[in-house]
Amino acid sequence: MSINTPAMLPRLCIVSSGTDPDGSGMQIRRQLRLLRPSLPCLLQIREKHLDAAALFRLSLAVKEEAASRNALILLNERADIAMAAALDGVHLRESSCPAGKVRSFIGRMLTGKSVHSLESAVKAAESGVDYLMFGPVFDTPSKRQYGAPQGSDALGAICRTVSVPVFAIGGITPENAPLCLAEGAYGVAAISLFTDTVTLPELLETFEKLLAS
Amino acid sequence: MIPSAPFLCYVTDESPSPVDSVRKVLEGGASMIQLRHKSASGEQLYLWAKEMQDLCRMHNAVFIVNDRVDIALAADADGVHLGQEDLPAREARKLLGPKKIMGISASTLEEALRAEMDGADYVGLGHIFETSSKEKHSRPLGPEAIAAVRAAAGIPIVAIGGINRLNAARTIASGASGIAVIAAISRAPEPERAARELVSILQHQQ
Repeated sequence: MSINTPAMLPRLCIVSSGTDPDGSGMQIRRQLRLLRPSLPCLLQIREKHLDAAALFRLSLAVKEEAASRNALILLNERADIAMAAALDGVHLRESSCPAGKVRSFIGRMLTGKSVHSLESAVKAAESGVDYLMFGPVFDTPSKRQYGAPQGSDALGAICRTVSVPVFAIGGITPENAPLCLAEGAYGVAAISLFTDTVTLPELLETFEKLLAS
Repeated sequence: MIPSAPFLCYVTDESPSPVDSVRKVLEGGASMIQLRHKSASGEQLYLWAKEMQDLCRMHNAVFIVNDRVDIALAADADGVHLGQEDLPAREARKLLGPKKIMGISASTLEEALRAEMDGADYVGLGHIFETSSKEKHSRPLGPEAIAAVRAAAGIPIVAIGGINRLNAARTIASGASGIAVIAAISRAPEPERAARELVSILQHQQ
């Protein structure tokens, strides 16, 4: 299946840990500073515990830090805040406002969506999103609330069915990422894997090689 | 345009099916509905907003969404209501354009004046009386706060917090253009009748 990829869509996605204590974005900014100029990244701000005012302030702080980095910044769920902060886009949950409706006012900002089944992947792809994020592919503590891991076969079935780029998420490691790519994933995404900023530089180097091949 | 004064605004509670009570209070004569639901998903909010906007159009009532400018835009609601912890009013105004209604919560005169400066169409002032609907740690402002804001600000005041049949008339007499209620309706045995009674009290104040 041919993939309609928006120009310059990165193939690695870092999702924020959801534990930013005060909305200052210290952890996210630390991650941004470790990004490699040669490895474009999507960075999704996903801090569900913050109210809209705090998310707006956080978005501005992250955007400022990202200005000179090779990263596109997306905000989870809130298209309005993403627009107000002039971020690069919004990442919708499976249970978010329908993507087609968000498209009607978000204009050309990047719009991605999480999906947890083939059925919702097909539906989301038809609604005009730029990419899908499917998971959990493998077992991971942060995604257990979304059910048992779905496996790389399910990922492959989705990648072969839809014509938008699909990111694999859930228990992704440098060891299993090649399997996801072999199943047709456009890229990979993770939360906890990238939280530790001590190991992050080496991981990014590894992923750059994996994604280039 | 917000409804002509004096009017009743119903703010939904965390009920799993807020559309039912909205339908009833519209029958009872409420002229403004605010969808406020903090635990619902974006998709659910959108679906409720669509339904409530349709119901409000049928009843010539105004429909606004609390906090979520994105949902208001997606459902083409008449406007939004923002608290002090929501998206800043100026940013919201840019997204909404000049025509959509924007209400801002205020609990001080300073907040009310800033709301006016930032482009609010009305200020939701409260809490006026003791209320059980939301966790409030501060003291009620009392109806005299309405008069003080009315004297200083040029935008309509919608009073909120502990307003019921007993104090609604006094609230309007103090200078509020409208009253916003949650519990006085949602916890009433018959929401439609509770709305009708409040509307009748407001109309006798004219």
